[in-house]
Parts: sequence; C-alpha cells; structure tokens
Amino acid sequence: MAKQLAFYFNANACTGCKACQTACKDKWDLNVGQTWRRVAEYSGGNWVVNADGTYTQNIFAYYTSVACNHCESPTCLEVCPSKAISKRDDGIVLIDDAACIGCRYCEWACPYAAPQFDEARGVMTKCNMCYDAVDAGGKPACVAACPSRALDFGELEELRAKYGDVAEIAPLPSAEYTQPSLVITPHKSAAPVGSAAGELANPEEV
Amino acid sequence: MELKEWSLIIFTIVMQMAIGSFVILGGVHYFATRRNGMAEADRMADRSLLAIGPLVVLALLVTLLHLGNPLNAPRAISNFGSSWLSREIILAGTFSVLGAVFAFMQWRKIGSMNVRRVVGLVVALVGLVLVYAMAMIYQLPTVPAWNSPATVITFFITTFLLGALAIGAAFVANFTYLRGKKPDKANVQYTMLATTLRWLALMAIVLLGLHFVVIPLYLATLAINPEPAAVASANVIVGQNGLLLAVRLVLLFLGAGVFAVFVYKNAASEAKLRVLGSMAYLAFALVLISEIMGRYLFYASMVRVGI
Repeated sequence: MAKQLAFYFNANACTGCKACQTACKDKWDLNVGQTWRRVAEYSGGNWVVNADGTYTQNIFAYYTSVACNHCESPTCLEVCPSKAISKRDDGIVLIDDAACIGCRYCEWACPYAAPQFDEARGVMTKCNMCYDAVDAGGKPACVAACPSRALDFGELEELRAKYGDVAEIAPLPSAEYTQPSLVITPHKSAAPVGSAAGELANPEEV
Repeated sequence: MELKEWSLIIFTIVMQMAIGSFVILGGVHYFATRRNGMAEADRMADRSLLAIGPLVVLALLVTLLHLGNPLNAPRAISNFGSSWLSREIILAGTFSVLGAVFAFMQWRKIGSMNVRRVVGLVVALVGLVLVYAMAMIYQLPTVPAWNSPATVITFFITTFLLGALAIGAAFVANFTYLRGKKPDKANVQYTMLATTLRWLALMAIVLLGLHFVVIPLYLATLAINPEPAAVASANVIVGQNGLLLAVRLVLLFLGAGVFAVFVYKNAASEAKLRVLGSMAYLAFALVLISEIMGRYLFYASMVRVGI
C-alpha cells in the first residue's frame, strides 16, 4: 500500500490541450463551474535591446496542469468544521458530501482552488484521484487521457527519486502552505513562484 | 457580493454588537449599582439586556443562509480540535444559551446579586473569547488581507464601539419610556443616564482614535506586502471601493467623533433630553452604517494566494 500517492507533471511534454481536464469532467460528470483539473497558462516576455541597438524578443509560455494535490498538510482538512474531509492511508484526500455543510471555508483555505462548490447540491467537491480506478489497480482519468504523457501518478517518494522534488513554479502558490504531493519537471522557461516575469494568461479557465 | 457574504456581514456585525452591548451593560450596571443602588441600576439596564436576546437569535439564524447544506449544520461543531470555525460555533452557542440563562435570572431576579454577577461575568468572558474566535477564522495564510493582527484588533474595536453606542441609544429609549410612564420618578434616572452617556461617548471617541490608527497602518502594510494577492486586496479596498472607504471613514468620524463630543458636552450641561437623545441615536446609526460598510470591504477584499 502506498504511503502518499501523488501526481507528477512534466511541463516540457504538456501542449495545453486540456484532455486531462475534459477526461476528469467527463468521468465525474461535473457541472459548469466545477473543474477539478485545470490547465494554467503562464506567459510573458518583452523586447530586449541588444548591445548593437537591435531588438530581439524573449517571450515564453508554458502550461501547468493542476488538480487537488492531496497535500501532506491538507489545510482544507484542518479548517473543515464538520470533519467532512479525510485523508486515506494512501494519502488521497476525500470530501464526504454526506457530512459537508457547504460553508465553503475550505475554498478560502486551499491555495490551489481544489475544493469547488456544487451549486446544485450545496456541497463541496474536489478531485478524488479517481480512487475507484486506483483501488482497482488503474490510473486516474486525467493521467490515462494525457496524449503527450505529461501526467503520471504514483508513490510520492518514488516520483521524487525519479524526477526531483520541485513542487512549485509560477503561477502555482508556494509549496509552503500545504506541502502538496506534487512533483513537477519544470518547463525550460519556468519562472519561480511569485515571479513578475509573466502572468496567468487564462485566469477565467483556472 | 453574494448572499453568502451578506449573511456573514450581518452575523459578525450583529453578534459583535450584542457581545459589546452585554459587556458594557455589565460594566455600567456595576458602577450604577455602587452609586445609586441595585433597584435603580436594574431599572436602567434590564430592558436593554432583554433586547440583546433577539439580536443574538437573528445573528445565529442568518448564519444558516451561508450554508449550502444547512441540514448538516449541527455537524459543524465536530472539528473543534483544529478548526476555528467549529470553535466559533461552539462559543456562539455557549454565549447564547448562558446569556439567555443570565437574562432570565436577571429579569426574574433569581439568585442573589453576587450569583448573577458571577454568571454575567462568565457570559461576558465567553463573549469576548467568541470575538477572538471570530477573528481567528480569518487568520488564513492563504488570504493575506485577512491574515493580520488588524483583523483581531478591528473585530474588538467594532465590538466595543457598536456596543457602547447601542447601549447609549438603548438607554435613551429606556429613559424616554420610563419618563412617559412615571414622570416623577425619572430624576435619578436622568442623572444616571447623563453620567453613563458621558462615559459611553468618551469610550466611543477613544475607540474612534484607535480605529484611525489601525486602518491606515493596516492598509499601508497590505499595500507593501510582496505577495500579489495582498496588493490586489489593497486595490479592492482603496482603488475599486475608494469612495465607499471614504464615506465609511467620514460616517465613523461624524458618529463616533462629532456626535459623541456633542453627547459628551450636552450630557454635562443637562441639555434637553430630546437633543441629547437624537444625538445618541444619530451617533449609533452613523457608526452602525459605517461598520457595515467596513465589514463589506473586509469580505470584498478576499483575494487568495495561488491560482
């Protein structure tokens, strides 16, 4: 049994196609306004004046696919007043909607916008790492759907040993807040967290 | 701003006003008893005490409006070990039940004065811890605009400022009622009212000063915070809602400053009750509106870090 399951994301392989997002939305039949996995586009750059007076540009853009990171310190779980959020032995963080009161406090606390409100049912929902598929030995829908194999999942320590321990790049928040179970291979143009080099180009989509 | 935020604005403002009123009422009653005896102190304070009850009930009911699934509301107390929201709900329940017990005892004069004083003191302490818990809910590292000592200080200023002015207005109404019923017996009560209003006005002026120290320091700190979410919050308060902020500050100054000074001066010179009363009502109304605007800005400034 895994100790802490985690997502892996390779920014160099991602083309921003959002197949992961769509597969997730399809499998869990999510309403408009609920997008458990989202793809953030971060871009920037400008004209640079060279020594000889000529101009070249240094524009860049890269994608970051992010869902619930099933954090090692899940702040949603800490602040939830009704103990509706729990962490399984394999690290998957789940919301029990039978216990949720729909106060949306977890929404304020999570820096990844993972808990999302279901307007129709009045309860919070979020990525559950497709625990049904994982329990059956399969993969989460997003991982299975990625055409460029930019996504993977597995035991956090194994993923870290294989890919390093980067868990934060712009536009993600600092990993300090929740210790996300996330391993990223940063894009070659990746900007550090809080960088002013670029900006989130699709805020309405994340 | 949606229904959710409005229910939180009403809950926090009304609950803090109720707690501040209770605590200040206790203090006033204590000193009034020492000076004029318990019977006169009760005559001045009891009706105001009973008026706090409906306020608390209103505040508690309004909180249900912000829940997506109110049927599960009783579960909200279960995570008191780590959630300030659970702690707040437990404290709010304790304050309401104990407060109701105390109000009933005081109304029917059950138990000796000392027993009632002890119960009242416990209720007041629970109320003050409740204000602290309400502020701690917003100490979220992911919301820099809220994650500040200013939230705690401001919640306490609101508690005492609205409490003082609400009690001032309630005492004026109570005195008007007493005088209408028994005109001859109102004299002692008028002296008590004038003394109390002077102290309440003084308190409002000091709290106004404290507000005017905290607000600019808070906004300045927010504006120079390196976290983009903090700067975005400062922009919501000062930029997008600059006019609202200005009106709030002016109303606060007029209510807790100008009119409180008038109340202070007129209470000393034993001016006509009608003038004094109008000013006490006006000061309360202006500060209440200003505090609601301030709380609106507080919720509007919610900008979370991350994506």
